[in-house]
Amino acid sequence: MSLTRTLTKTRVAIHNDVDVVVAIQKGRMLAQAHGFSTNEQYITVTAISEVAHNIINYARCGEITLDIVEQGKRCAILIVATDAGPGIPDVQQALKDGYSTGAGLGLGLSGARRLMDEFEIVSEVGKGTTVTMWKWRNDNNNRAKNSRS
Amino acid sequence: METSTIQKLENLLLVSVPRDLMDDEVLRLRRQVVREIRKYHSRWVMLDFSAVDICDSFFGRFIQSTADMVGLMGADVIVSGLQDAVVETMIELGMTLENIRAVLDLDDALALSRTVQRTEMYTQGMKALNGHDIDWDNGWDALDMDSLHRDTHAIAEV
Ligand SMILES: Nc1ncnc2c1ncn2[C@@H]1O[C@H](COP(=O)(O)OP(=O)(O)O)[C@@H](O)[C@H]1O
Ligand SMILES: [Mg+2]
Repeated sequence: MSLTRTLTKTRVAIHNDVDVVVAIQKGRMLAQAHGFSTNEQYITVTAISEVAHNIINYARCGEITLDIVEQGKRCAILIVATDAGPGIPDVQQALKDGYSTGAGLGLGLSGARRLMDEFEIVSEVGKGTTVTMWKWRNDNNNRAKNSRS
Repeated sequence: METSTIQKLENLLLVSVPRDLMDDEVLRLRRQVVREIRKYHSRWVMLDFSAVDICDSFFGRFIQSTADMVGLMGADVIVSGLQDAVVETMIELGMTLENIRAVLDLDDALALSRTVQRTEMYTQGMKALNGHDIDWDNGWDALDMDSLHRDTHAIAEV
């Protein structure tokens, strides 16, 4: 990924549900401004909402950074959710559908992993959790159009 | 925040769900829905999602818990106006909603509520016929039996 060029960086501190909505709105604007499809926008904001909710539910506070990354002509939105909360003892288990230590549906992490193109969790008990997610813009439709003409 | 509106139409309670609700607003909306059902004796609650572009698991839980609550009050939830991309995201997220009907728009919701209402009256009527007490003054003779049969079949086919 040496060609990767970071275009923009937005930081949102997450302390409560107002901040969650701010992160969602910034993510939506960013994806819209960079030509992501409606589908890609919805997927992205849903994933942001899931990790942001996890921060306030399990770590109380943390931070979400939103980034647009370019690699050649490709473009992705990069979301990093970090907290210094209790951490996740068993990440594999937390990634299972329906697993929740709270009152949730247990679909946040597993669902976000399915929705996004790349998904990584680094977590250490007592230190905190970082979730990194990428969604690539699908330019195939445009490319097909160009090659036909 | 964009305000949600709750309106009464026939035996439906129409709730237009705004976009970007904060968690406590979601809970407040649920409380308000329950209150209005009691007030209007609504048989259906239609949650209109046309303004919503995000249905994460918190929202899913809201829909499900609202349905469970209003179910205890004798009403059912109809979800309407889900955008294609929202539906796709919900399914991919792994969300399943139980005991919830979905329709595309208000017309379909009204059609559904009227059909079900007629069927329920029909069933009640049959019970009364087979049993003893028939309340003839209570709209029974206003029923169109042919359309009732049609509707009952239509429902069986769904
Ligand atoms: N940031 C976090 N810090 C600590 N634990 C977390 C964090 N995010 C998720 N978890 C753990 O992973 C579990 C699964 O998370 P998730 O899939 O979002 O489902 P839910 O939030 O509905 O429980 C949570 O119940 C919690 O135990
Ligand atoms: Mg969660």
